[in-house]
Order: sequence, then C-alpha cells, then structure tokens
Amino acid sequence: MAFKSVTVALGGKTILDSVSARVPQGSCTAIVGPNGAGKTTMLLALLGEVPYTGGIRISRAGEDRQLRIGYVPQRLQFDRGMPLTVLELMVTGWQRSPLWFGVRRRYRERAMELLRSVKVDGLEKRRIGALSGGEIQRVLLALALGQEPDLLVLDEPASGVDFQGEHVFCELLDKMRCERGFTQLMVSHDLPTVTHHATHVICLNRRVAAEGPPREVLTAETLTAIFGLHMGLVDSRALPNGKCSCSSPCCTRGSDHA
Amino acid sequence: MPELNVFYDLIPKLLPFESMQMRFMQQALVGLLLLAPMVALMGVQVVNFRMAFFADAISHSAFTGVALGLIFAVSPHWTMPIFGLLVGLAIVASQRRSALSTDTIIGVFFSGVVAFGLAVVSRDKNVARDIQRFLYGDILTIGNGDIWAMIALLAVLTLFQVYGYNRMLYIGLNPVVAKVHRVRVAAYQYIYAGLLSFVVIFSVWAVGVLLVTAMLIIPAAAARNFARSAGGMVWWALLVSATSTVIGLLISAQDWAGTATGATVILVAFGWFLISSGVDLIRGERSGR
Repeated sequence: MAFKSVTVALGGKTILDSVSARVPQGSCTAIVGPNGAGKTTMLLALLGEVPYTGGIRISRAGEDRQLRIGYVPQRLQFDRGMPLTVLELMVTGWQRSPLWFGVRRRYRERAMELLRSVKVDGLEKRRIGALSGGEIQRVLLALALGQEPDLLVLDEPASGVDFQGEHVFCELLDKMRCERGFTQLMVSHDLPTVTHHATHVICLNRRVAAEGPPREVLTAETLTAIFGLHMGLVDSRALPNGKCSCSSPCCTRGSDHA
Repeated sequence: MPELNVFYDLIPKLLPFESMQMRFMQQALVGLLLLAPMVALMGVQVVNFRMAFFADAISHSAFTGVALGLIFAVSPHWTMPIFGLLVGLAIVASQRRSALSTDTIIGVFFSGVVAFGLAVVSRDKNVARDIQRFLYGDILTIGNGDIWAMIALLAVLTLFQVYGYNRMLYIGLNPVVAKVHRVRVAAYQYIYAGLLSFVVIFSVWAVGVLLVTAMLIIPAAAARNFARSAGGMVWWALLVSATSTVIGLLISAQDWAGTATGATVILVAFGWFLISSGVDLIRGERSGR
C-alpha cells in the first residue's frame, strides 16, 4: 500500500502536505506524530472519509481483487443506552435475516469463535453499553477481524486502556497478524507501544519526516524534529538489533523478514 | 378500487363496542393498525439514530405541502407526501456534504418550510381555519384511498426493514466503521429518510403535526426500557404502538371521554412508557446499577 503526494486541506488549512509513504505487505506499520500532525486524517483519507489530492494505492502483489479492510476506530462514540448485545453487534454485518427473528446458529458460532480469539468470550450476552473501554476495543477488533481483512486499520487502538491492557492488546494483535497474515496499519502517539511492536514506522507532522524500521527512524534527531524538545524518552540503542522487540515469537520472526 | 369492506365488517365482531359499528370508526381503526407497525419499526431507528428532530422537521413540512397544494390546485394528499419526501432527502444530502452540525441543518430546513407554509396560508383566512386539522390530526376522516396508500407503504417498509434492519443497526453504531466494512451507508440513509418522510406525513393525518414525533419515539423509547436486546426492542415497540392505537381510539370514542383520537393514542403510549421506566428502574436496582 502506498500514499503518493497525498494532500488534505480542510477549511483552507493544510492538514496533510504532499505525504508520500508506503505500508509494506504483512508489516505492522505505525504512524507516529504529535497531536494535530494529521495522523487520523491520513487514515480517514485512506478510508475515503476525507477528500484529498494525490493517490492512495491499495493492492496486493499478484492480486487483482479489491482488498478488504477492517477498521477499529479510536474511542467509539455510540449511544450507550442502546439495547444491543455483543453477539448481535458481531452478526449485524453478516446476517441478513433481521435480528428480531434471532441470531442464526452458524453466525453465532462464527461470532463466538472470533470473540474467543480476542479473549472476550463470556461477554456475548452483555449490552455493548455495559462494557469497559478495553472490552469495547477488543469487541471492535473482533468485528474488524470478522471482515477477514487484508489490511487492518487501527486508530489509537489502546486509547482508554490501561498500560497492562494495552500491552496485552498489542501482543494479541501481533499474534493474530502472524496467524492470519494481514497487514496492520495503526496510528499512535504512544512511542513505547510503537517501539515495542511496529516493524515499520512513518513519522508524521503534516509532512513525512522519516520512514522505515523503528531503529533507523526513531532517532533523537527525528523525534526532536517532529515532537519538539523532550525527546529523551526513546533511546533507539535500546531497540534490540534494530528489530521490533515484541515478545511474541512469531512477531520477531516476522520482523526478521522485513 | 379493490374491496376493503371485508376487513371493516370484521371489526365489530372482534371489538363488540357500540362505537365500532360506525364505518368511519372502522376505517380509523384500520388506518391506525396500519400505521402502528410502521411507526414502531421506524421509531426504533429514530431513537437509535437520534432523529427525533428530523421527524419534527418533516411533520412541519406538512404545512408547506398543504400550501403548495393550494397554489397549484392539487389535493394535499399528493403534495404533502411529495414535499415531505423532498425535504427529507434534501436534509440527508446536506448532512452528508456540509460541515454544519446535523441539528443546525435540520433547524434551517425546519424554519424555512414552516415560514413558507405560514406565509402562503396566512394570505387566506379560510385556509388558516383548515390548518387546524393538520395541527391536531383527523384520523376519523381517513378514506379508502389513504388506506390503500398506507397498505402499499407498509409493504415497502416491511421489505426494507427485513432486508436492512441489521445493517441499519451497524450504521447507527458508527457509520464510518459500517462503510469501511462494506455496508452501503449512503443508500441505506437515503432510503430510510425517504420512507420515514412518508410515515411522518401519514402520521400527521392520524395524530397531527404537534404529536407526530411522539407517535414515533414513545413506543420505541418504552421498548428500549423493556428490551434486553436489539431484536427484542422491535417486538416491544410493536406491542406498545399497536395496543396504544387500539385502546386510544376506543377511549376517545367513549361518551365520558370525548377526546381527540390522536392525543388519546399518545397518552396511552405515554402510560406504557411510565410502566417501562418503572421496570427499567427495578431491573437496574436488582442488578446493582
């Protein structure tokens, strides 16, 4: 997937200025940058939600079909009083016969399998409004995985989740990416998460400041350039061998190929 | 025109009340029973999508529909639904393109159509008197033509809901996620707005401009309190709206009541809502909420 000279201007203000970047197939690519850098806008351009000039190409080597995208939004804004159960939410995109006639068995089984895979089985009868922030993120992840995506797009996947929860969430994602072979593109302003899990990083502050493997990109100079002064936070020398340091075995193996 | 008398003749046998012997009451009951499932189904989404203000704007476009009918010397039975449909689609199109918030856009259309309708109507004092019918509704004057139109609308609407109820829930949760996950959001939004506009205009005949939003949101709001799932919410909304219309019509026809039918129907539905709130409260306390 590649962005080529993508420019987004809204209300006379340039939010993305001639952004060119690539997302390698099978990678865990992270877009990092300060608030207002245009990270979410870059995702929205990709999803066709904001008008842009330039080009965004999404394709897979040797395949003609349109690629499927799964999307996990940043903090879902929804009506918490809505009597919608987790199981019902999971099947709304697949099942045609209306939910007032119940959930069909084959969709129920498929939903349960996905919920198990993101470790939220047991919640299927709960209303979505009664879930915690971390549980909602996982259910949304299961919903996105239900699309059998070629590209999984996540906007601040771990926002509203505590540190421990965030780590677990990212580990889970790494494991799934290796099992299912999708490409993952996420937005984050949380550098420890990125250094720990990403195999490819795009540093953004309206323009692309740098792009490449974390160790090469997350240098003190680049970070100071895009974030400003206080950038002793990430020491690129702490990144083992310049690869991602996710503890999931398949992830490190995956990054060796990158 | 195909025969509806078979249905009318059944009514006094099923509901052996003195008031139900009269043909206009039988027609009113059939009209309300056709309207009940429509407002129940559409109301569930009005509440889930927070579209009460949209419904209000469409109902007020009825004024302009009547006014246009007067200008072009066409029956308001044609101009009201057509104008309502156009306003509904125009609001959705503006929402999708404009940076303004939804309530601002609806507010602008709302004021525009009401002002236009009042401007035309105020020129003619006789018409101004006639407008009262639309303010309070007039289900008792419903004719066979209206009933056939409602049967057709109910058929189309049922097909749409059977086909699209689940996808509409998806869109209600988050339209961007739904669109990325290959739901045709724009198509659903336009079709829904068009059908809702028709339902609102037919409800104007039944309960009047002032109460039409109540007809849509009260059964759905009560259903929300009763139901534990999105599927169950539809059944509860159907039960509340059907019983409210029948009981409301029967009460309004009693000598001791003598109230306007539309208002009585809404009052019964409101009673349901109070009960549902009690149920929700008790359930909440039991689960320690």
